Amino acid sequence: MSFPEIAALTIHDVKNRLAELAGKAERRGDKDTVRTALEAAATLTQLLAFYKSENGILTPNVDAHAPADLVDELAHEAGGMGGIAIETDCGAAPTLAFYDETLVRMVLANALQNAMRHARSRIMISVGERSGQVEFCVRDDGPGYPASVLADGGYAAAVTREGTGLGLRLAKRIARLHESAGVRGDVALANQDGAVFALRLPR
Amino acid sequence: MAYPASYSDKRLLIIDDMPDMRSTLRSQVASLAIEKVGVAGNIRDAIEQLKKTRFDIILCDYYLGGGTDGQQFLEFLRSTNMISRATLFIMVTAETGYEGVITAAECLPDDYLIKPFTADTLHSRFERLLEKKARLAAIDKLQDQGRWQEMIVACDEIIAAKDKYLIDAMRIKGNALVMSGQFEAARDFYQQALALRPMPWAKLGLARALRSIGAGDEAKALLADIIADSPSFLSAYDMLGRIHLEEGRSEEALKVLDSACNVSPNSLARHRSIAGIAEDAADFGRVEQALSIVVRKTRNSPLRNSADYAKLGNALAEIGETGKAVAVLEEAKTSFKESGDVRLLAAVEAVTQQKAGNPALAQQALERALAGGTAALPAATALAIAKACLANDRQDEALALFKDVIQNNPEATAVHGRVSSILKQHGSEELSRQLIESSIKEIIRLNNSAVEKAKAGEFAVASQMLTAAAARLPDNLQIVANAAYCLLLDVFMNGLDAAKLREAQLLQQAVVGKNSRHPKLADISDLMVKIQAKYRPAASA
Repeated sequence: MSFPEIAALTIHDVKNRLAELAGKAERRGDKDTVRTALEAAATLTQLLAFYKSENGILTPNVDAHAPADLVDELAHEAGGMGGIAIETDCGAAPTLAFYDETLVRMVLANALQNAMRHARSRIMISVGERSGQVEFCVRDDGPGYPASVLADGGYAAAVTREGTGLGLRLAKRIARLHESAGVRGDVALANQDGAVFALRLPR
Repeated sequence: MAYPASYSDKRLLIIDDMPDMRSTLRSQVASLAIEKVGVAGNIRDAIEQLKKTRFDIILCDYYLGGGTDGQQFLEFLRSTNMISRATLFIMVTAETGYEGVITAAECLPDDYLIKPFTADTLHSRFERLLEKKARLAAIDKLQDQGRWQEMIVACDEIIAAKDKYLIDAMRIKGNALVMSGQFEAARDFYQQALALRPMPWAKLGLARALRSIGAGDEAKALLADIIADSPSFLSAYDMLGRIHLEEGRSEEALKVLDSACNVSPNSLARHRSIAGIAEDAADFGRVEQALSIVVRKTRNSPLRNSADYAKLGNALAEIGETGKAVAVLEEAKTSFKESGDVRLLAAVEAVTQQKAGNPALAQQALERALAGGTAALPAATALAIAKACLANDRQDEALALFKDVIQNNPEATAVHGRVSSILKQHGSEELSRQLIESSIKEIIRLNNSAVEKAKAGEFAVASQMLTAAAARLPDNLQIVANAAYCLLLDVFMNGLDAAKLREAQLLQQAVVGKNSRHPKLADISDLMVKIQAKYRPAASA
């Protein structure tokens, strides 16, 4: 067996154990452990997706979805876990948009996880339209992105104690994999009373 | 957190081979106030429970152990109609990627959940999916009954509302247009959908419509285009393979299906299609190769199918591996004691034992194959028994069976080809030509005299002749379609009759189910539209 095969099986195995751990913690009402186990498992999912994208086998399964539903779902799940207020704004959301929901959910869940780590008291998740594209935004009221991350658009996101930059790299790749009539998706980072993560997808 | 009380009446089935995951899922659904919960550790258990209880939601892990995965299980459930469209099927997976393999829409789960997840996630997903099921429930019900025209009207309402179910309604409407034989309308509709966004399902639908109106080359080009853009869209390979086969290029067809197998090596359906095409092309080595995989993957599993064993046994006997053939058939005998097509297996055994030099055993097997008479047998079984009769020197019985099969399938050149190739092996090529000719003439005479009655205005007499013949020859689509048409003429000319209308619809559905491109279907659906217009609003009740 090759290393990638062993790695894939190992990831699968570790995720199953994390699921077991999360299940047990959930039953005894231990939300912190549930959250940590889920985040660890999500990181492994991203690692595998990154490996696939590296080898050109991450093909998005694009279909019509209601972006407001996805935003509500993410807010609902995260709201059940941390002590931070999570607000949503879907007022300007298109009824339907075309994307791979599993992949986009993974990107946004990661952005939300980052926001929860840095937010002081509140997070806003929104979806709307911006120059013909669908734009998902995750904003927090924390200190914002470091200048080094903003400078290179997150491509060389630093390896820190808190993360490897995997999430941001993968987010860019997944955004770029969404293409329609010559327009490709993108990720934009900004600081505006906190960090703003924007995922833009072609309509 | 408070969950809606409406959950308390939902029945949910958990299928997972890992005990810890089962108990995690169980306590998560308990926290959602779902009380009617079934738990299964393997598919055998799951099938037992599904036979007894109608579930609203199935949560199924992708890895089921024992060589079966959740996708194979879902295909089995849908193909055997063990679950209806009203049941939510949610696949639980460990990572993204399974959803990358796209099969026919009816074999897709309603959603995927990547584990681990919390009860909150489960809750919001159920909410969303149940809301969608509720919105589409009326359409699902019409679809289960094959009431296409009414479905199209219901879809148009949702499409006009432009809510978040717009694309779902469009997908269903396109399929309904094709299923009801309105191919030109389907083509135009899919082209409109594609102008919205080049969605693979709409391209596939367009290819289906084009193929049905005889634009095979355009359909092929479109399918090649889908495969290039979305290599995991398996339905495109299936259709392209079928077109190649119909055009007599079995080698091309097999090549296409082989590449689909590379995309989805675990799909039993794909290996079975390869075996089917290879069998028609008399490439028994290929049949053996494909079905050995299927038999190995489904051994001791409820997903096993007696026809796989019969075809594998036959292929092994054809390539001279009689010892192996006998072993496969012996295994099938113990494996399919009560279920399965035991007569088909016995027929193949009768030929194989004769080849293996055991005439007494062959004789016994033939008696088992013939037990219970030969009326209303599926064509494959009838042909296998006829072949067994020939191998055991019982020519008269063989010829009677061939005649039934031919009259049931007067237009199916593939079936005639099978009759000829069986007779050819027994040195009676001339006999097969005569037999096919005289059997077909007889049924044409019956059809013509019914048509004359109809022309003379005796619709009731004509439809009686045709419906009686349709009951005897359910696979003779000309007879079945004419019976439907004649019943509708009767209704159109002589007044609304719910029973006749219903019978006509059932016959039409039978034709669509067997050949959605039957030329008479367009006339039938035109006439249905006219009837609806004439008797509105009574006919829409």
